[in-house]
Amino acid sequence: MKYAYFPGCVAKSAAPELYDSTAEVVKKLGIELVELTAASCCGAGVQNEENPFLNVVLNARTFVQAEELNLDIVTICSTCQGVMGHVRRQLDDDSELMAKTNETLDKLHLQYKGKVKVKHLLRALIEDYGLKNLQSQVTKPLKGFKIAPFYGCYSLRPKEAVGFDDHEKPSSLETLITALGGEAVHYEGEDKCCGFPILFVQHRASLSMAAVYLNNAKQTGAQFMVTPCPLCHLSLDTYQKKAEKAAKVKIDLPVIHFSQLVGMTLGIDPRKLGFSKHTVSADKILKEW
Amino acid sequence: MQKAVFRICRFNPEKDKAPYYDMFQVKIDEKMSVLDVLEDIKHEQDASLTFRRSCRSGICGSCAMKINRLAKLACKTRTVTEISKHGEVLIEPMENLRVIHDLVVDMDEFWREIYRGKPWLVADEKMLSDFSGENLLMKRQMETASKRADCIMCGACFSDCVSRVFDKNFTGPASLAKVERFVADPRDMAGRERIANLVDIGVWACTHCYFCWSQCPQDVRPVAAISALRLRSVNTGDKSQGARHVKIFSDSIRKTGMLNEATVFVKTMRLSSLKDIDLMLMMARKGKAPSPLRKPVPKIEEVRLLYKLTQGEKKP
Repeated sequence: MKYAYFPGCVAKSAAPELYDSTAEVVKKLGIELVELTAASCCGAGVQNEENPFLNVVLNARTFVQAEELNLDIVTICSTCQGVMGHVRRQLDDDSELMAKTNETLDKLHLQYKGKVKVKHLLRALIEDYGLKNLQSQVTKPLKGFKIAPFYGCYSLRPKEAVGFDDHEKPSSLETLITALGGEAVHYEGEDKCCGFPILFVQHRASLSMAAVYLNNAKQTGAQFMVTPCPLCHLSLDTYQKKAEKAAKVKIDLPVIHFSQLVGMTLGIDPRKLGFSKHTVSADKILKEW
Repeated sequence: MQKAVFRICRFNPEKDKAPYYDMFQVKIDEKMSVLDVLEDIKHEQDASLTFRRSCRSGICGSCAMKINRLAKLACKTRTVTEISKHGEVLIEPMENLRVIHDLVVDMDEFWREIYRGKPWLVADEKMLSDFSGENLLMKRQMETASKRADCIMCGACFSDCVSRVFDKNFTGPASLAKVERFVADPRDMAGRERIANLVDIGVWACTHCYFCWSQCPQDVRPVAAISALRLRSVNTGDKSQGARHVKIFSDSIRKTGMLNEATVFVKTMRLSSLKDIDLMLMMARKGKAPSPLRKPVPKIEEVRLLYKLTQGEKKP
């Protein structure tokens, strides 16, 4: 298995543990990722509010880089996957937009042929690698851990851009957790918004969202939370203490990246998976693992 | 016919202290909508069950309610689909609205928000006085306005809006879709005023959770309307924190190809970023504080050229 790799901005700065743990996991599983080092930010649903056509063209430029390698794109960020999937869909559906995009890309001597697919590594693991295949390599199963999945909006909606999982009853993370030997809990908020997109603008509302959904997860008896989105991770882990303070509630729920979850079950040294970089300590779960 | 379970939230504020759930065993066939089953329950099992319905055809918007935790029209939702996905049908009143009785909610709050967006056409007085026939428009001129005008005011988007739960100043998806319906209408003369009003009615509080897009029975896509309104606002002098964030974000990509979290955070939040200085120090200790000195990606000149080439494209 080989993909063009779009790690996204956050995995390369504020969540380096996601980037590092992914590298360890794919090495162990024999998945080859060719990083698109010259790609630009997907725009995160923000850039299109200043210039939507620029956002389309920049993402199309990234698609061309993958096409040149003759590979589909995998991301490790739900938001990147969602935004790029949306742009790809727009180009697929609108021949005028496609023509205009290629007219602009032509100035860089680039052409987008419309062949590239974009998927999250979580989806690639489930659909392409196969959970049975993954299970066969597990050396440290989750041993009945109760785990709260947090999907992130762009993993699920709009379904036209995602093309994976069921936005009305998501199960991809649960399937992964169960395959690795854990138990997924359900709670009000697992498919909701972590608050990150308005963190810089509506700080208080953003922190309240994180606090309520984290607390709901905690109340189910979950020992930790797992997410495929580094932006959700920023909101739910990095800002968790602030969220606790804003909502006047003690939560203390470790939140880990999906790659760290897989990495642990494959027996990779936790130090290589970057658990020490979290705000809410995951030491307790690592000891029990 | 097959058997199914309906679990329905009941509440009569005049006598109940808190909402509770009633279970109903029902017989369903493949064609039955959730509304059909609710009618059966009302007629055959419990006449006190209270819910709104009218057209039964997905047009009037009366029967919006939460079906297996998501707001939908009961008349447009097939029961067997819900059963096969969830094993039962859980029915609750819409969120973000006061419950009057069982599944009937008070829509006043929803309508108040719609009115905040001034949902009427402001026509050109001169054109009205000179009026001598039809005001014909090209189909293309009305595409966006027509899409947003498909709204049937059922309240499903308002119910499932995450932002509305946490920020009561956020006017909600339907209201903003209605604003765009008039902003995008070439006959409307109040566009500038409508755009200037956006910050006050909370346009920057939307998180892009896409529930409104997913739950709208008419495919109005309010979140797309919100992005289009923000775009107009950003490019017509909006100086709010939300607009500033968009410009700073985009400028960051122009400079390095990637998002520079450190500078975007400080420039957007300005002085209030100091409140999170403890967090930044903690991140630095853990070796994950984003560096303000981000190296440009290879071939950054391509990215910058695309910025230049698309300069004139800043419209919806």
